Parts: sequence; structure tokens; C-alpha cells
Amino acid sequence: MEWMVTANEPGKTYLMQGNEAIVRGALEAGIRFAAAYPGSPSSEIMTMLGHVADDMDIYAEWSTNENCAFQACMGASMGRVRSLCVVKQNGLLTLGDSLHTAGLSGCKGGVVLLVADDPNAHSSTNEFDSRHQARAAGIPMLEPATFQEAKDMMIYAFELSEQLQQVVMVRSVTRICHGRGNVTLGELPASPSQPLPIGEWDKLISINWFHDLQFTKLDQAQAAFEENPFNWYTGPEEPELLVVTSGTGWLYSVEAVDALKLGDRVGILKLGTTYPLPEKFVLRYLEKTSRVLVVEEVDPVLELNVANVIAHNPGLNVSLYGRYQKSALPQSFELNPDVVIAALASLMGIEYQAPQTGEVPADAVVNIPARDLTFCAGCPHRASFFLLKQTLRIHESNGVVMGDIGCYTMGGNRAGHFLLQSIACMGAGINMGEGLGHLSRFGFEQPVVALAGDSTFFHSCLPGLVNARYHDANMLFVILDNSATAMTGFQPHPGIPLNCMGKPANAISIEKVVEGIGCSVTVADPYEIEATTQLVYDLIKQPGLKVLILRQPCATLAVRTKGRRKVWVDPDLCRGDECGCGRFCSKTWGCPGNIWDYEIGKAKIDEVVCIGCGVCASLCPAGAIKVEGGQA
Amino acid sequence: MPGGMQLKTEVLATSACALCGACLDWCPYLKNMEDHLVLSFDCPVQEHGRCYSVCPRTFTDWQAVNEHFLAGIPYDADIGAFQTVYRVKGRQPLGEQQDGGTVSTLLQTALLEKMVDAMLVTGHEDGLTPLPFLMEDAGDIQKVAGSRFLASPGLRKIIEAREKGIEKLAVVGRPCQVQALRKMEYNKPPEVPALDVLSIGLFCMWSLAWSFKDYLARTYPGITFSRMAIPQHGVELISNEGTKQVSLEAIKEYIRPGCAYCLDMTAELADISVGAFEPALGWNTVLVRSERGKDLLERARSRDLLQVEEYPPEELNRLRQASRNKKARGLSMIKQAADQQRFAPFIDMSQSPYQEIIAESSGKEGF
Repeated sequence: MEWMVTANEPGKTYLMQGNEAIVRGALEAGIRFAAAYPGSPSSEIMTMLGHVADDMDIYAEWSTNENCAFQACMGASMGRVRSLCVVKQNGLLTLGDSLHTAGLSGCKGGVVLLVADDPNAHSSTNEFDSRHQARAAGIPMLEPATFQEAKDMMIYAFELSEQLQQVVMVRSVTRICHGRGNVTLGELPASPSQPLPIGEWDKLISINWFHDLQFTKLDQAQAAFEENPFNWYTGPEEPELLVVTSGTGWLYSVEAVDALKLGDRVGILKLGTTYPLPEKFVLRYLEKTSRVLVVEEVDPVLELNVANVIAHNPGLNVSLYGRYQKSALPQSFELNPDVVIAALASLMGIEYQAPQTGEVPADAVVNIPARDLTFCAGCPHRASFFLLKQTLRIHESNGVVMGDIGCYTMGGNRAGHFLLQSIACMGAGINMGEGLGHLSRFGFEQPVVALAGDSTFFHSCLPGLVNARYHDANMLFVILDNSATAMTGFQPHPGIPLNCMGKPANAISIEKVVEGIGCSVTVADPYEIEATTQLVYDLIKQPGLKVLILRQPCATLAVRTKGRRKVWVDPDLCRGDECGCGRFCSKTWGCPGNIWDYEIGKAKIDEVVCIGCGVCASLCPAGAIKVEGGQA
Repeated sequence: MPGGMQLKTEVLATSACALCGACLDWCPYLKNMEDHLVLSFDCPVQEHGRCYSVCPRTFTDWQAVNEHFLAGIPYDADIGAFQTVYRVKGRQPLGEQQDGGTVSTLLQTALLEKMVDAMLVTGHEDGLTPLPFLMEDAGDIQKVAGSRFLASPGLRKIIEAREKGIEKLAVVGRPCQVQALRKMEYNKPPEVPALDVLSIGLFCMWSLAWSFKDYLARTYPGITFSRMAIPQHGVELISNEGTKQVSLEAIKEYIRPGCAYCLDMTAELADISVGAFEPALGWNTVLVRSERGKDLLERARSRDLLQVEEYPPEELNRLRQASRNKKARGLSMIKQAADQQRFAPFIDMSQSPYQEIIAESSGKEGF
């Protein structure tokens, strides 16, 4: 069966993941160029585009960072092809300056910036609301509320972008990206668009002269949004309360009105074009009600835009409710139908009892212990964090550890013995470390350690390393090189010899880059706990900037190529609770592969989970853990 | 018996640790590098802690331990139970021996006489940096001859000796290490096989923190010292480029804080204790304590490896006074720490001779 994302079956309906619908939409829009940096919940989009790049005759790249990705799209846009840039909310901020300058210059070929927000920060450090950036950069924005819209809006976004010669932002959220729904396919372009020659006077210049022109483009967008199929109203002619909503808020609102049987009293104004707000269209409905509830993820962006309309129309007699100052809905975290139902019930004076979890049938209740986020079995980060924590404790000088963003961010909790003392954004660790390290001239004596993964190293640590080298920072910079962008699903980065489209790439050696900057660099194996502990101990005693690469491929990836060695516990050697180690392997080392056999009261290896790294065997004080073919 | 967290609270966090090494290498939590010894991760063991049971700085009824190992030997309130005291020197020089080469000669004897299978001694990496060795060959003794003044957790090697199946082991140790050796045996769980230890205790006033090496590197850049000695007039550091004199005052700053609590100058629980004989260079003081220690000395003498002489009575009194002074200083520190509730005393201060020393010292500075 042909894959639905590329199936040439207009009119056929498939159950599609939101990210698939976005890819399909981009392909129907006829994109030739796509660039992204991975980040949940958006990562699948570029993986799919890379996968179909050959078939669809498009170029797709995992860029070194989001800024590279977006600027690359702007470059392709000069050649008048359609370009798609895909990022998550944090990535949007990485390309912030570029977005603002692009807003001024506008574009040639259509440029759509797909931003996938993560309300509740399911797989993020924060739940930043990207929509602020559309307003700040002065570009139009669309918000899909359904999976069909996720596809259709991509086509409209490119049309709008070329019509206005302006970048258009499409803002999705986790529930759209990773949810599934019916999508009816449209036409794929018969033949791909060709780049056009760029004339001597064809330019994309960002300069403030164009600021006024930017507003003209926004006015044109607003005019287009006034009559737009992505905006619609359902409900009574004069509702007692009007719900104004966008994105997944619409789904929750429909469910709330339905659950409370308020269809004849409450109306829903669903907006897909949320910036600039189609004011006349919205005003038409504000005039027919006295109370408005705005339902949206995450910040009160739509709500404050509606407030703006109310403020500029003194004839209105409307009370506004929403997330702003918690007037009806919580200020933070993700919404869900229950929260919206409760808010609507309260505003409408209806008694509503949310279904209790107690109604779950008794036989369906499972006692699952609460579990921390942790590293996978065999993860080299577990070994790195263990040995770094151990070394800093042994050194007794209260070393301070700056974290960064990746799988290893989980090292900030129990999995990494709470090692990290700062977690900010990508590339923050080395810069924070550089700054703190300089305090040594004022008598600050604690060693400073900064961590970054290999993908993060290329993404945003290079300027930091240059800065640290140039200023002779007093710190140890540790690159946790697992040869993968593991957190988001093993997308390639500049250290990997295979690109997004599965083609050979010029892999870049991290140590050569580091040496080129003039830093002394040491490469060590985190699995060799004892030797590497000694190495780190020696490095933190040295003054100045030291770079250490802890290299061991991501275990989940390595097991696919190298297979797994058998690891087992010799029950004659394991002394159980008599050992005095206090179940070190399962409790302190904490690898999911190390479990406890309660029947015989001894340690055990979970063969299903264990990948055979053998590190636990080197740590067991009784030598009871055995590895096929000897130790690692 | 409490566990690792209690050891951390009472001994490690209070800097009372003597760095004997008895707790290391059988536990995945206690880690050492240079002179750092830490609990690297929280230990879940809350009772029957092995570390706690062997540590010379956790509460011990030292009188009972003494009774157990040195029963019937006349007890001296200042320098512990001993039978006889001699001044001794080796007949032949054995490597870079410190004084009379007595320890090296006793080790040589123990091996030649098959009293032990192996010996645990402290050699060195680069002259001053101590490194424990487990040796089975008498020919290796001269490689490790001479005193080390930087603290070394040599008792960690006991585990290696057990793993190698060594049954009879000679151990040369500082007083704290001899205490730990005795506690290992005294508190040994029945299922752990016995290790027959012949203990040769060293007189010790203190040991130095490893930061002393940084001091030397700063003060004498480029010079690698191979040996250190403390004759009566001060501290001598010996290198290829000659000898440097360092004042005792300069050294004091680098004395390990844990040594301040020590009450034992002469390794009172050893089978035989050896120290300098201060009136004459090239001689040692030897306190014969147990029957075993006596046997060892006799065998060395009958092989004509050692020259053994009468001990001047006035010198014995000076030794007693020096040891008593150390006890008084240590008791003062323990009492201060207890009064300030930094830790509970790891001795029963009502026992003899502590009570008497406290009584005679009270009113003096420090008390």
C-alpha cells in the first residue's frame, strides 16, 4: 500500500497523525526545500520529509540549529521556491532575531514557519507560547484546530506567504502534532516548481525603512482573514455567552458545550487565523453577547487580542473571561475538556460534577508505582553522571555543574544523582560556566563543570567555546558524545556521516573542532568508570579551560547495530542483603536492567531490558555480575 | 552497629577520619583519591555497617580491645601494653631505610621465617607520595624502605590480600591503622574467614595532607623531593639537589585534621612497635608487645639481622612523656569537639588512662 503521506489519491480519507497531515499539506503546497532542528513534538515532520525527499524531489535537511534552518529557508525563498522551516517553541526563540529581520524584509518564494508548541511541557523544559513571536515579529499566524486543518492550513499558509511576500507562521501544539484524526487528501502538484533566476535588483534586505510596509502586509492579511474558511461560528443568534477559541481549545469548547447541553445558550467562535485578528469578523459576534470566554493554549494571546477589540469599541458591553489573571481558566499548564467544562459550568451557574476516577472498574485499576524519568538501560549518560558526581564528591571542593538540553537534562533528577545545578536553554551550560569560572579571580574556588551533548555542541556551544577559550575560562567542559540526537529520536547532526535524506554527509570531528579553537581535549569512555573518574579528578585540579569528550554511542542505537551481550548475576557470588552494598546495582546505580529477585533475595538482570554494556559488572563489589565474553 | 551515613556524619563530615583505609574497596560508596575519602553516594545500609565497625574513629571500648589482643601483658598508661623496650638497628642496610632499618629487617625476618605469606607496606610513587604495596617477596623490601609522611589509606589492600587467598599477613601501619586492624578482627562477623595479621606498628605524631605537595611545589618549584625526615631540629626534605630545611611551624598547617584527635603515638595495639631513637641517629626504639612480636624480634636477632641493645631508662621516660603529651592534646580536642557537639567522643572518656590525663591536664591551656 502506498504511504498515505505521498499517496496520489485526492478525496480519499485517512486516519493521520497531525505531523503526517502537516507533511502532506506541505507536499500538496509544493515545497521544494525544508529545514529543521529536531524538537518534540515537531520532530517527525522533518524525518518524514527526509524519507520522501527523493520520491517527491525535494531537499530536506536537519540543520545544525534552528537559526541555520530558518535562514536556509529564507535563502531558498530568494530562488522563489517554497520553503518550510519546522521548529518547536524553544527553537523559535533560537531563530528569534532571524524571524524579526525576515518580518522586515519579507520573502520571495513562500516561507512557512511551522512551530510546534508543547503545552504542559510534556517533552520540553517550558511551555512557552510561540504566538507572542508572531505578533512581535509582525507576521501573520494560523492555528489549526483539527487534523484536516493541519494539512489544509499548510497550503493556505504558502499561498498567503507568496501573496503578501511575507513569512507565515503556523502554530501547532502537541495534541495536534501527536494526535490522530481523519484527513481527506488533496491534489499533489503535477510537477515541482523550479527556482527562478535572481535578478541584480532582487533583494531581501532587512532594514527599518520597511517597517511601515510590514504593517501594510499585516493589514492585507487581516483583510484576507475577515472572510476565511478557517474561522466560523456555531450557536444561537444571540448567545448568553460566547466562547472565542483557537487550536485545540476549539475541541475542548465543543465538548464542554455538548457535555453541559448548552448548545442553545452558548455560541462558539472558532478562529484559525489568529494574528492579525479579523477584527470586523470578531466584532460581529461580540456585539451579540455580553459575556465572552476565551479558550486557548497556553497564554492569553487571543484573549488579549479580543480585549484589544473590546477596548477600541466602546459601544460594546462585554465581560471578558479566560486565562488572563485566572479569571476563568488556569494561567499555566495544558487545558483539557474537564477544565474547560468546569470553567463554562461556573460561568453559566451550572452544577457540574466531573466524573471521578473511582468510576474506573476495579479490575482495570493497576497499582503502578510512581516512576521518575530515567536514562535507558545501558545509557552512557548514566555512567557519565555517576562518575562525574562521584569525582566531584571525592574532590570535596563542591564543584558546580551547569547542565544543558538533551537526554542528559534528566541527569538533573535522580537518574543523574541530581548533578545539574543549572538547566536553561541549549548552549547555556558552557556560557554560564564561563561566567562563573571567571569569579576565581575574586576568590571563588569551586571547580566549574559545564555539560553539553554532541548535537547541542554543534547547535549552540561553538560560540560559547570560542568565548571560553578566548577569555581563558576556568572550567571543565564535558561533551557527552553519544553520537546521536537521542532525545528526539536519533536525527543526524553534523557529527553523523548520514544526512536527513539518508545520504552520506561530511561528518565533523568534535575533537578537531575543539583543538582548532585551541583547547586541549581528552577523549574518554564513560563506561570505564574507574579510569575516567581518575581522569576527571585530574582535569578538575588543573586551572584554565579543559575539554573532555565522554564518548560512547547511545545504547539504544548501539544495540541495533552491535547486538547485545548477555549479562547475568551469579547467585552464588551475589550476597544479597547480606552484602552490605545495600542493593547498590538496582538502588544506587539504578539502571533499569538491574532488578531485584525478591524470591531468592539477590540481584538479577532484566534480560528484556539489559543491553549488555557491562558497566554494572565493573561496579559490583562482590564481582557477582557476569558478562558474556568477560567484562566490557 | 550503624551504617555508612552515620560514618559520614561522625567521621567524614567532622574531618576526624584518620585515612587508615580500612573501610575502602569492599564498599561501592566509600571512595578515595589522594587524601580525600568520601561517601560518594548515600549509603542505604543502616545497620551492621562494616565501615563503621572497623573505623578507628567510631566509638570503641579500647580497654576491651586491648584485653582481647594483649591479655596479660603489663599495661603502661602512657605507651600501652608492652613487655620490653630496646634500641635496635639492622645489621645490613636495606634500601633507603629511615633510621635503623628495623622495620625492613623485621619484615624480612617474618618472610624468611615463614611467619607470614605476604606483607602490606607503604611504598611510594615519587618519593613523597605514598602508595600501598602488597608484597610476597623479601627482595622487594628495599623498594619500600623508609617512612612516608603523607597519609595513605593502605589498609584498603586487606581486601586484595583476602582475594589472593593470603592467610598470614604482616602489616606495617600507623597507630590508627593498627587500631583498625584490631577492630577488623574484634568486630569480625563469624562468616568472614579470619586473616592472621602480624602487626608492626609505627610511632606517629601526625601525618600530612597531600596539599603539602602543593606547598612544596610552590615553595621549591622544579625540585622533586625523594625523601623526608624529621630529626630533632626540624624537617628535612631531601632531593638530588641537596637537603632543604622546613620549620615544624610551616609543616603544622598541613597536618591532617583527623590526626588532632589521635591518642596513640606508639601503636599501642601492635604486636611490635617501632619508632625513632632520638638520642642517636641510625637507631630505632622497639616496643615488644605481644608474644608474637617477641617471637619476631627473637628470630631476627637469632638470624643476626638485628643489633638489639638495652634501652636507656631516661629515654623511656622521655618517650612516655611525649606519648602522654599527645594523649593530652588529643583528649583536649575530643573534649572540645564533644562540648561543641561536633561529634560524640569515640572513646569512653571515663576509662583509664583518659580520666587521669584529663584530671592532670585540666586547667591547662586547651582544657
